[in-house]
Amino acid sequence: MAIQETRHDTRRSGAIPPEWLEEFEAAARRSLKTRFRYAFIKTHRPVLDDAPFRAFDSMEAYRRWCEENLPDWLGYGRV
Amino acid sequence: MGAFEYHQAEEIRDAFSRHGVRYLFIGKSGAILLGFPDTTQDADLFVERSPKNGEALAAALPELGFDLTAQQAQEIRSGKDFVQLKNGPFDLDLVFAPDGIETFTEAWNRRVEVEGFPVCHPDDIIASKEATNRQKDRESLPRLRSFRDYWKARR
Repeated sequence: MAIQETRHDTRRSGAIPPEWLEEFEAAARRSLKTRFRYAFIKTHRPVLDDAPFRAFDSMEAYRRWCEENLPDWLGYGRV
Repeated sequence: MGAFEYHQAEEIRDAFSRHGVRYLFIGKSGAILLGFPDTTQDADLFVERSPKNGEALAAALPELGFDLTAQQAQEIRSGKDFVQLKNGPFDLDLVFAPDGIETFTEAWNRRVEVEGFPVCHPDDIIASKEATNRQKDRESLPRLRSFRDYWKARR
């Protein structure tokens, strides 16, 4: 991942990779309604999706809960 | 419960407008509204924390199909930092204090309107993800920064 980030980080290179540029331009040609249909998906995420309601007093408490309860592969852990 | 659909975003916009809820789309759902081609599951809303806005929000959510208990409605009114709703027709995250953004007013003043939807400026969406620094954000940030550059160049 680190290699890919270095290659694609436009803060460093100042250029948009051509394959991303094509994707951005294709998306810009679509209506917002169509973009919604492609963008929002529904999958079951273990633990995260298993309660109807959660509220956290602080973002720190929420981040900590994610790290302590969610599988690592969901990607909610801080780096 | 299925995927978040365009008509449901319209329902949020209309119900929140009726109740006077001050909010912004944020996160990847906000970026998608701006044109970012990617996928996500949740609609993320940055909601202004104030007693008046909390009351308006708690009144609007049942109209959207969210089944709130009295205690849950109270927690929304009181403005917890983060509320995750999965008891309605779509997944909805309410963020009252996103990482990386100082105040709602500052984000509101920088907002972008997309077909009537108030959306955080891409700089704020990126700042929030940078501050959060989760693995999944780290992976999406380079492409999101490129999109921000593309989006600014088109305006």
